[in-house]
Parts: sequence; C-alpha cells; structure tokens
Amino acid sequence: MDARRIAFVPPRYGPDVVGGAEAVVRQVAHGLADRGWEVEVLTTCARDHYTWANVERPGPGLDRTASGAEVHVRRFPMVRDTPGEVRARVEAALATGDVPSLGEQEAWMNDGPRSPELFHHVLDEAERFRAVVVSPYLFWTTFAVGAIAPERTLLRPCLHDEPYARLELFEPLLTGSAGVWLQTDPELDLYRSISTPPAQTAVVGEGVPVPDRYDPEGFRRRHDLGDRPFVLYGGRREGAKGWEGLLDAFADAVRKEDLDLTLVTYGVGEVHAPPDLPGRVVDLGFVDDATRDDAVAAASAYLQPSALESFSRTVMEAWLAGTPVIANGAGDVVRWHIERSGAGLTYDDDVELEQALRFVAEAPDAAAALAAPGRDYVLDHYTWPATLDRMEATLDEWFPA
Amino acid sequence: MSAPETAVGGAEAGRATGGRERILVVSPYPPVRDGIGAYALQQVRSLRRQGHHVEVLSPTPSAAHHHADLRGPAGAAALARIGTGFDRVVVHLHPDVIYRLPPTAGARLGTGLAYGAAFRRLAHVELRVHEIDHRWADPSDPTSRATAFMLKGADLLTVHSEEQRSHLVDGFGVPGDRVHLVDHGADFAPRTTADRARARASLGLPPDDHVFLCIGFVQPHKGFDRAARAFVGLGGRGARLDVVGSARLGDQATRDHVAELRAIAAREPDVHLHLGFVSDEMFDRWIVAADTVVLPYRHIWSSSVAERAALFDRPVIATRVGGLAHQVERLPGAVLVDDNRGLARALAEAVGSPAEAATPSSWPGADGDDVRSTVQAEVRARAAAARGGLPVAGRGPTGDDAPSPSAPVRRLAPLRPPAPVSARPGVSAVKRLMHRLLAWELTPITDQVNSLQRATADALDRTAPPPDPHDDDADDQH
Repeated sequence: MDARRIAFVPPRYGPDVVGGAEAVVRQVAHGLADRGWEVEVLTTCARDHYTWANVERPGPGLDRTASGAEVHVRRFPMVRDTPGEVRARVEAALATGDVPSLGEQEAWMNDGPRSPELFHHVLDEAERFRAVVVSPYLFWTTFAVGAIAPERTLLRPCLHDEPYARLELFEPLLTGSAGVWLQTDPELDLYRSISTPPAQTAVVGEGVPVPDRYDPEGFRRRHDLGDRPFVLYGGRREGAKGWEGLLDAFADAVRKEDLDLTLVTYGVGEVHAPPDLPGRVVDLGFVDDATRDDAVAAASAYLQPSALESFSRTVMEAWLAGTPVIANGAGDVVRWHIERSGAGLTYDDDVELEQALRFVAEAPDAAAALAAPGRDYVLDHYTWPATLDRMEATLDEWFPA
Repeated sequence: MSAPETAVGGAEAGRATGGRERILVVSPYPPVRDGIGAYALQQVRSLRRQGHHVEVLSPTPSAAHHHADLRGPAGAAALARIGTGFDRVVVHLHPDVIYRLPPTAGARLGTGLAYGAAFRRLAHVELRVHEIDHRWADPSDPTSRATAFMLKGADLLTVHSEEQRSHLVDGFGVPGDRVHLVDHGADFAPRTTADRARARASLGLPPDDHVFLCIGFVQPHKGFDRAARAFVGLGGRGARLDVVGSARLGDQATRDHVAELRAIAAREPDVHLHLGFVSDEMFDRWIVAADTVVLPYRHIWSSSVAERAALFDRPVIATRVGGLAHQVERLPGAVLVDDNRGLARALAEAVGSPAEAATPSSWPGADGDDVRSTVQAEVRARAAAARGGLPVAGRGPTGDDAPSPSAPVRRLAPLRPPAPVSARPGVSAVKRLMHRLLAWELTPITDQVNSLQRATADALDRTAPPPDPHDDDADDQH
C-alpha cells in the first residue's frame, strides 16, 4: 500500500457529469491530487444517470487539475441485463409506505445497472489504497464496492431523508464502513435517526470554489436578458429535485400578470416550459462553470425547491455571488444553512413561494441586503482548503500509513 | 486414509499448476448477502491474484459476470451453456442453489440427473460441497442414484472435514481420490482494524465483562437458543451473551425461532439480541470484541464463523456436529461439546465458574404464595412471546384461566399426511412409495394450511378486545 494513494469510486465522473455528489468527488480528487496524493478514480463509462449508456471509453485515462496534477481515471462498462420489474415493484411499494423484505431490497438493488468489472477491479486492487472512498450511498457502485474492503472503505453517503435511506439493505454500509465523511450537522442527525454511525464519523463539509470574478452584465448581454429581473434554478430538472412543482408554482404566480420575473434554468432534464408563458422560462441547457457563476451573480434570487439535499452546493454558489436563496423549507439541510447564515427565505407551500418571489421582484434592494451575510458564511465554513484540511486529518487518523 | 490438504483457491490437486486458467466460479455472490457468497468472493480474489482469468456465475443478478436461475434441469442446462470454454468450473454446491425448494424426491431426481449430465459435458468440474443431505444417500431412496450420479460427475469434490469426506465416499460412492479436504479459512482476511478495546467501545460493550458471542444468520439449526439457555446463571458473574445476526428467511420456523430468542433475551438481562444485517466489518468487530465465540449448531457441515474466530485468535465453544469437530479441534483453546449440558458446563468454565454452577432454567422458584399461578403465568408469557410477543387476549396479567380467543384454533393439530404404515405385508412399502411420489405436491399444501392456522390464531389474539376489568362485576349481576 502506498501511504498517499487513495481511490474514489463515484458512479459517474467527469466535467460533463451533472450531479452535485459526483461533482464534489471530482473536486476532492483534484484537491488531494494538488496536495500530493496519488489519486485514482474508478468509475463507469456512463455519463447520464437515466440511461447509464456506456458513453465514455473503458480503460485508463487522465484528468488534470487546474495546476496540472494528475488524477488517474479508470472506467468500466455498465451492464444492464435485467428487466427492472423488481425495481419498479419495490419502488411502487416504497411510494405507498410499504417496507419490502430484505430479499426484495437486494433484488431491487441488483435489478438495474451494475458494473461487475469495476467490482472485480476493486476486489483485486483495494489493498493498494490507503482508503477507498465510495459515494453517494444510493448507487450500486457504492453499495457493491463498499462491501469489498470495509476496513479501508470511506463512505461519503450524501444522505437524504427518503425511504431508500431507511432500507435495511444499507445497514452494513452505514454501520460497517471504516470511516464516514458527512457534509452537515443535519446529515449527521439524519444518519443517527436511520442507523448508527461508525465511531470514525466526521462532518467534514465540502468546499465551494470561490470565483475570481463575476460578469453579470456580460451574461445578460449574451443571453438577451436585458434588464429583466430573473430567478435562477440550476441542476437536474426532475421530480426528485422539485423542479415540476417549482415550475407550476412559478407559472401560476406569473399568470396573475403582476409578477415581473423570469425563471432562468440550466442543467439537464426536460424543462417543459408552459406554452402560455412564452419567454418567461429560459433554458440555458448545460453550461460551463464561468457561465453558471455569471448567471448566479445576475439573478435576483436562487431557487432551491429540493427537499432532499445533503449539502446544496448551488446555494453556496449563490451566496458567494451575493444572491439570496429561496428554498423549500421541507429540506432540513438547506433550512439549516439559511437559519445559520440568515441569507435566504424558506417556503412551505406554493403560496409562500409566490410571496417570496414577490419579495425579490418588488424589493430588490432588500433582497440584496438579505443576501449579504451569505458570502461570509460560505467563506467561514466551506472553502476547499479548510475542507481538504479536515479530510486529510481524518485520513491520517483513521487510516494510519 | 485422509486425502492431502490443499489450499483453498488452489484446490487444484491434479491440475496443472502455474498455468493461467479460465475459471468459472458458480455461487451466490455479493452484493447479495450470503455466507457462501462471501466465501466464494474470497476464493475469487485468491484465484485472480494467482493470475487466473476468473468469471463468476450467480443464481441472481449481482456483481457476478453472469447470472442465471440455476434451479432444476433448466439451471443445469444454463450452467452447461455458460461453462463451456472454461478450463475449470468451480461450483459452490448448496441445495438451495440448484434445487427447487423443498427438494422433493422428484426435484432430486430431475435435478441430479441434469446436473450429472452437465458436469460431464464441462471440461473440469470442481464441487465445493458446502452442504448436502447425507440422508439422500439412503439406498432405499430411489433418488439416491441420481444424487450420486450428480456428485460423481464432478472431477474433484472439496470439503472442509473428514466427516464430510466420508459422507461423500461411503454414502454416495464417490471415488475417494476425487474428494479432497481444503482449509476452510485459507483465504480469509481481516475485515476490521479495531482492537478489542476499540471494538467494545464502538459496540457499546463493557470493557471487562466476559463476552460470549453467537453470530451469523439467525436460523433454528444454528441453535443460538441453546447457547442462550446454557448461559442462564452466568449473567451475574461478569459475563454476557450477545446474539448477533439477521433472520434472513421469513418462513414460519424462523419467525418462531426469533420470537423464542426475543423471549429469552427479555427475561435474561445479560442475554442480548442484536437482530439485523451485519456488515463484514462489523462481523469481525464483534468477533474481536468477544472473549469466546459460541457455535451451538444443531447441524451444519462446516463453519466460516469458526475460521473468522481463528483469524482473530478467539477461542470457540462448538457442538460436535457435522464437520465442526474436525474443523475446530485444530484451533487453539477450542472446546467441543456433545449436548446442552456440556454447552452450559463449557460456558461456565470459560468464565471460571464451577461447572455445576450453571443452571439450565430460570423458571420462577417454588417459594411464592401461589406457585401454580406464577408458573402458569410464566408458561403463558413465554408462549405469547414465542408467538411473536402477542398479548394473550382475554387474560389478566396474572394469567387467569380465561381462554384465549385463539384457543380453539390453536388446539387443532397441524395437518400432516398419514404415516405410510400398515399391518398388512407389503402395504407399507407401497404407501411409502406413494408418499414419496406425492410429497412434492402435498407438502406445499400442508405447509400452507398450517401457516393459515397459525395466522388465524395470531389474528384472533391480535384483534380481540382487551379484558374488561368490570367483567367480574357484570357476571356477579347475573
């Protein structure tokens, strides 16, 4: 075993992959590589978590950090050779509050995309690494690989308060990993309500890159937004993230004809903009980091409709840019951030959301003032140097060389 | 004469060594949780590290490269198809994997013949025999030849104990030179880095108590209840018994067994039941935390738990069943026992107590005012706990004699086929034959009827209104 060799096992990896947990894995991998760690990423050839199509080429590759450090990436094909019937049946049961048997849970986990070659590579190689970091908890790659060498497995679960997290299936992963990295105190509270965290559990947070500069005017110009005030949502446009509910509530508010706001969105997934509101929902598609930062800086508010966030990096990006956040109050983690920072509003239903939207549309100066403490909050808690310091400290303590 | 020991993963006595082979391992496989799967995983890792090309075939989707339903003749055909082209096929043989359950005579006949043929079609088949019912070797059993045909179709059979070897050679007629002993734990690697103190702290165990541990899937044949009963009397002497594991099967027998364990743990303060999924790391952490690992099995061929205990130098107390004696007697500090009394004596001696100190029961003493009521209440409480902790409706807390609403249903004898006996010459044999031929159809029906009876009784107790404290007054008014 090399004293400074570490492996990361995300289900997908790369600059084109959309997903907060996966993006953070890449940033941690880059951060540790910059600090002299020999970093390997063992992942699949998939880029899209809907199709799991093998888009990337299998085998070894190289990803370089901004400073030129090397992250060795090895990709393995995903296999989809099961009908998915068990998966659908169990998910339907979970949706109605039923608890499937352990056998059904196991069948559910294995009735979907799997990567036997990735599994066996880790089986062969695990002992070469000081730690094998698996993340996030819900994916087959994490579940299967996390059981291979638990004595050197470091779980970064990104737990959400959802029925899946309470499945008995995950108990070995949650209780039996050698170490656990968590992002927030609410995630630790949730962990304790679900399972028993191992003794080697730490809230290490995660880092958020601090942009050197923002260009909100340039963003407006490039996207023909003029002076129109807009609110922003970025990430996966899907039900689990609260996108449809947000869109419906926004459209209802706009249809009252006195809400002067546009909804700008970037990311992946279908948008389904209401046809009766031409131009009021603008889809930028997938954007690069600079465009994202400029968009956040230009927005009147950032919207976080998801109740299932384990950290919410986009909220931090908004606060760094001086933009207030309007978030679903059902999400413990984001509500906790907002209550600690004071830099946003939460809503518990569409009526409250509409009123929050009115606030940013009708009182832009007050909204900007609301956002003011957000930047310091992020700089105080969630910079990469501080986060990586905490991560390295746990690695040294839990996995002595 | 004993066959030579070979290393697991090497299990290739008679095979060329040093060459890179294409090997297919057939087994339940992670991430499906299964003891044989965990064992096979370690073998796969070992074979891959020896430089072999290894692929895995599992009976359900998993991390294996292939998966197919391996039960019955169709399963044998699938194995023959997938295994073609491999230099070696290693089958981890357990009846649950290849037979449709229950393995009736018909199933044993068809499956045995099909697998025997499949094995003969493949290049080199090694059976890692984890379990097979030695009663199936009975010459009066018409299916015994099919089972023997299957076993003899393999080029090599590997077992973990001399007793298992004898079963195969003497019972099924497998040539002795084909049955080899292998070291059960050769590929085992530690799954925890915790030391005893850290393991105990993380599990919430006191630092100095003598911890007895029963760990593994909770099933009646594991006999964890035997250990719990044998432990009675040691709790006040700085000892505790922890029973750790999950009830993998949801059948009535397992539910009853779990209920019984719960009942014992409820009345014995130093018996602790930890039901639930146990990760490999936590499994080992429990063993590290323990002072003595107890294997009170009623029947088993061999035990991975014994090997993991040996990995961490933890002594074991085991019953002398299956191949356990052969496996355990080489382990330092191991104690073999023959019965419950011996088990209790061994536990007591492990904590330095006089052998006679352990008492087999903690029933209420006979020094109360109303011994019958106390014992009767205890009988009923234990019965209720064994039924799943259900309150016995219609009874007061002291266990008065009001009948349970379920009593009429519980009094019905379980449905069983009539015994195949007769006083008339020859008829018994005919009946036995009919019994065997029809068992595959009748057994599921009788099992279902008996399950319905139990469910009905449970439902009656569960839904009955609680006893009305004023009932006595009402009776008096009439």
